[in-house]
Amino acid sequence: MEQAWLNEKFAPELLESKPEIIECVVEQLDHMDANLKRAKKGDLKVSVHHMEIERIRYVLSSYLRCRLVKIEKFFPHVLEKEKSRAEGEPSILSPEEFAFAKEYMANTETYLKNVALKHMPPNLQKVSLLKSVPKPNLDSFVFLRVLERQENILVEPETDEQREYTIDLEEGSQHLIRYKTIAPLVASGAVQLI
Amino acid sequence: MDPAAGSGALWVGLRRRSANGEGGRGTRRVRVRCRRGPPGCRAPGTMEPAEAEFLAEKELVTIVPNFSLDRIHLIGGDLGPFNPGLPVEVPVWLAINLKQRQKCRLIPPEWMDVEKLEEIRDQERKEDTFTPMPSPYYMELTKLLLNYASDNIPKADEIRTLVKDTWDTRIAKLRLSADSFVKQQEAHAKVRWGRLERFASSVLGVFQMPCDCVGL
Repeated sequence: MEQAWLNEKFAPELLESKPEIIECVVEQLDHMDANLKRAKKGDLKVSVHHMEIERIRYVLSSYLRCRLVKIEKFFPHVLEKEKSRAEGEPSILSPEEFAFAKEYMANTETYLKNVALKHMPPNLQKVSLLKSVPKPNLDSFVFLRVLERQENILVEPETDEQREYTIDLEEGSQHLIRYKTIAPLVASGAVQLI
Repeated sequence: MDPAAGSGALWVGLRRRSANGEGGRGTRRVRVRCRRGPPGCRAPGTMEPAEAEFLAEKELVTIVPNFSLDRIHLIGGDLGPFNPGLPVEVPVWLAINLKQRQKCRLIPPEWMDVEKLEEIRDQERKEDTFTPMPSPYYMELTKLLLNYASDNIPKADEIRTLVKDTWDTRIAKLRLSADSFVKQQEAHAKVRWGRLERFASSVLGVFQMPCDCVGL
């Protein structure tokens, strides 16, 4: 859960949704909550468990909040990606998030129409949200720690004079690199963003 | 900009203009380049100090409880059993809470010792590269333990100063190397020497294209 939280925090785009982790954590929290309600004895134990529940709840809500912020920021691109993904690929939005994103899009369109577009000349009344909302910046640099050894990662050159070169990532080392280069490694869990 | 300035002064610049020179009417303070939003709502890609502290609180520290309790089975793992007078390892968040309720005594980690920290600080100053630090959360741990349990830690003030000095040196090195990274338009940098603190990534902020790199 914490790994997913940190990755989501530092990645510039919305990552895959992890419903299994979230469900598992929520189930454990509920279970512990129920236990505490029943067992009122032993003041210290109860408060320790309670504190731990609060901490885990904080991580969970921070994770979900981070995803929602990204959805709100990049909503047309997120929905576009979801529409165009292949059958077997995992979804980046949970069903609730998908509903939220669609509603947000509909609301934004209605709002824009009512506030501004309806007063413009007819041929200007369409706005392409895909073009007007900025895309996530996949070129931003991120810090990462390598969890599994990787070989031959291609690093593209920054300027015209440089050439592209390959690097090997050793386990446990830390790097600073563009997100685009290592995006598939984050998805597969081979690196951890820090 | 002074490279050794503390993290609080990174992106906030103050411009003061006073008409009468006394700071009375006519004084205007303008905050420039301030990137702090309400907690939890900052852009993805940055980590707040409170969150770094949250992660640091998961580290284990030894305490000597003065109560007894059998094993507790937390979601994150088992703790205990607690017997008065016998040292036991618990996460920092629990240790601090117990200390506040006066139910235990904290034992400082072995690296929190004046001579060791002096050595580390001197090495950090001599070398160009980063010295391996005893714990990735040394800054947060020092702050937490010294705030809540300074009576259990000998020479607390000296330790605080030493750690702060080491941190300042490291931050300066980090900024210098990041500066050269951007200037030479490198595409990739590997942190070869030791490990950086978690908070380092938030100190540097988000690296965008070299031309709009903030704070350098």
